Amino acid sequence: MAPDPEAGRVSRRKFIAVTGVAGVAGVAGCSGGSGTDTEAGGSSGSGSGSSNGLDTTVLTGDGSSTVFPITNTASSYWNSNPEAGDEDYWPQEWADEYGTDMRLADYFASDYGYEATEQRSVPPFRVSIALSHSGTGIEGVMEGRVDIGDASSSAASELGEDAEGLDDFVDHVVGVDGQPIVVSPEIADAGLESITIDELRGIYKGEITNWNEVGGPDREILALGRAEGSGTDTAFRNNVYGDPEEPISPDQRFGQNQQLQQAVGQADNAIAYIALAFVDPEGGTVPIGLEIDGTLYEYGKNLGAQDYPLSRDLHAYTYEDTSRKEAAFINFCLSDFGQEIFVAGNNYFKLPSDRLETQREKVAASNYE
Amino acid sequence: MTQRVPQAREVLTRLRAAVTRRVDGTKQRARDYRSRTEDGAIAMHGLVIASVLLTFLLFLTGSRWTVLPVLSFLGTMGVGWARYQAEAAKALTFLTTVATVSILTLIVAFLLLESIPAVRAMGVDLFMRVRNPAMEPPTLGQGLWGRGGVWSLTPMMLGTAITTLIATLIAAPVGVAGAVFVSEIAPGRVREVVKPGIELMAGIPSITYGFIGLTIVNQYFYAEFGTPTIGTYFAAGLMIGIMALPTVVTVAEDALNAVPEEIKSGALAMGSTNWQTTKSVTIPAGLSGVSAGVLLGVGRAMGETMAATVMLTHTKGFPSPVFDVFSRYGETLTTVIAFEGGNASGVHMSALFAAGVVLFVMVMLLSVASQYVEWRMHRKLGGER
Repeated sequence: MAPDPEAGRVSRRKFIAVTGVAGVAGVAGCSGGSGTDTEAGGSSGSGSGSSNGLDTTVLTGDGSSTVFPITNTASSYWNSNPEAGDEDYWPQEWADEYGTDMRLADYFASDYGYEATEQRSVPPFRVSIALSHSGTGIEGVMEGRVDIGDASSSAASELGEDAEGLDDFVDHVVGVDGQPIVVSPEIADAGLESITIDELRGIYKGEITNWNEVGGPDREILALGRAEGSGTDTAFRNNVYGDPEEPISPDQRFGQNQQLQQAVGQADNAIAYIALAFVDPEGGTVPIGLEIDGTLYEYGKNLGAQDYPLSRDLHAYTYEDTSRKEAAFINFCLSDFGQEIFVAGNNYFKLPSDRLETQREKVAASNYE
Repeated sequence: MTQRVPQAREVLTRLRAAVTRRVDGTKQRARDYRSRTEDGAIAMHGLVIASVLLTFLLFLTGSRWTVLPVLSFLGTMGVGWARYQAEAAKALTFLTTVATVSILTLIVAFLLLESIPAVRAMGVDLFMRVRNPAMEPPTLGQGLWGRGGVWSLTPMMLGTAITTLIATLIAAPVGVAGAVFVSEIAPGRVREVVKPGIELMAGIPSITYGFIGLTIVNQYFYAEFGTPTIGTYFAAGLMIGIMALPTVVTVAEDALNAVPEEIKSGALAMGSTNWQTTKSVTIPAGLSGVSAGVLLGVGRAMGETMAATVMLTHTKGFPSPVFDVFSRYGETLTTVIAFEGGNASGVHMSALFAAGVVLFVMVMLLSVASQYVEWRMHRKLGGER
């Protein structure tokens, strides 16, 4: 018996030692590699910087986990600076659409006067996006710790309506997070395609309790909502009823989208509002349209519109004007390519064309000439 | 009046005597300590206690010098352990006990402090209000949570009462019956297997029960009985009752087992059958212990959070009639804290702390009650103390 644990201990120690060495070697390799990378980037960056005096230090961002996928994906693409024709990251079709054969970041930065580096992994300036909360991002950009503050709610609502320095924030909306209305498959199968906003209000007030009152089958309505006091719940009350304190009485509340998705799918009489990523037209959470003042808002068509009540803007704030560097990157996110890959690709709504124009004008290259 | 004055005087004299006795006792103990402890050990005790106190104070003020008393504590303890091991152990065990008690005190104090804003905003209404006057019309049980500055715990208190009652109605009879079987009826070999098995059941994490409840029990009631929501007080109470079962069985079984063999033998010698002995002697004798077990089970059911949080609907209100355990309402004191604690602020957060206080007081009363009946049982039977 005695030698057995002894052997075990020795082998475990050996194992730890081996993996430890391997780990250290790996880390060393990694840091060595990245070290040379940044050096190369730095030298070429400072070279171009000295030639035309532009700021090529790292652009930093921090903030909301909801906006993070957009800006972070954008920064990854930007930093890798792929050549035109890289089918995964800068496909020829897109390059053709822009009429260029430059590398991705080179092309988008060139409008703002940055020199092309013409090297993979060496963008004209690097972008680094961190992950925290809306409030942290907004404070970070205000105190100058970061250049861009990601936020899923407005600076005013995070800091208070009359907070100091609120006027110095420049609001760049890069995408829209919207929540479609979904119903159980049985209800959609019975032919219900859309409801009106008044019907929605009635359902969540407990005034409408049967699906046949809104054109569905004769079945009780199971109205599902989110946790009281959560951002989603407050936004729902505010946007649908116009009052964040409006008393609503859903039948059941859930803490997370996953639970909501499961419940809607399992039930045969449920209605809910759910994040875009959890909508499944073929599966358990079938989206239906919402009609407001004669306009029908439908999944896959116009849910990104500002008037759609279950949507919120995703902000990338800058503080005290937008620098050339910040503008170049935000414009990259607002480009057709950016909207398609970073916004729609991360299950958010692209900005509708009129809003896109307004946002692009704020960061247009012509402002920096 | 005239009779009361000498009475008061007598009480005063007696009080003074008691105080003098207490002071003398303390003096004697101090003298004993002084004469029986080496000077070095006394110095060590003083240093250790001083550094711990200083650490605590500096830590509270957020000073960066906190590390100094910590080092002094470690140093003193190290030297002390080498030179006066017994005295060092005495100090260490004393300190851990003090730490345990003070942590409990601090937690209770924190709970009370944090719930002050809610009490200040709502007063006694926090536990009493059943209608919100800000609502048009003020409906019974509606809009009691965060509408127009009203935060009332009544729907949650009712919810806790309902789930606890259901759980008790399930756990108490089944648990006591199980305890009687294991202790009195089952053959020894069955007992050897079943008793540890039941104790093991008490160790299953509550989320496991909750997950089974969420995926199976809730679904079953929704699909088969058409409950208005996926999850009801009844389903949650049922699951909590099953969770409380092992506690009831274990404690009640211990109580029945503790009934002295002589009493049972006496009954048997008088010619009564096994069942008659169990029914008329063992159970009545062990009754207080059995009820202690039931009370402990109830306490567990009341404080149960995880299973209830995943199973209940989190809508607040009073079922109508109040015993409608299949209504769409479902929120208890524990689940509201777990469900909303993450995104509460201001008075909302304070109201959640107040819910914690209510819960704490209720569970403490139950615990004290069960301790009391257990103490009574031991006194009555002599027990095997």
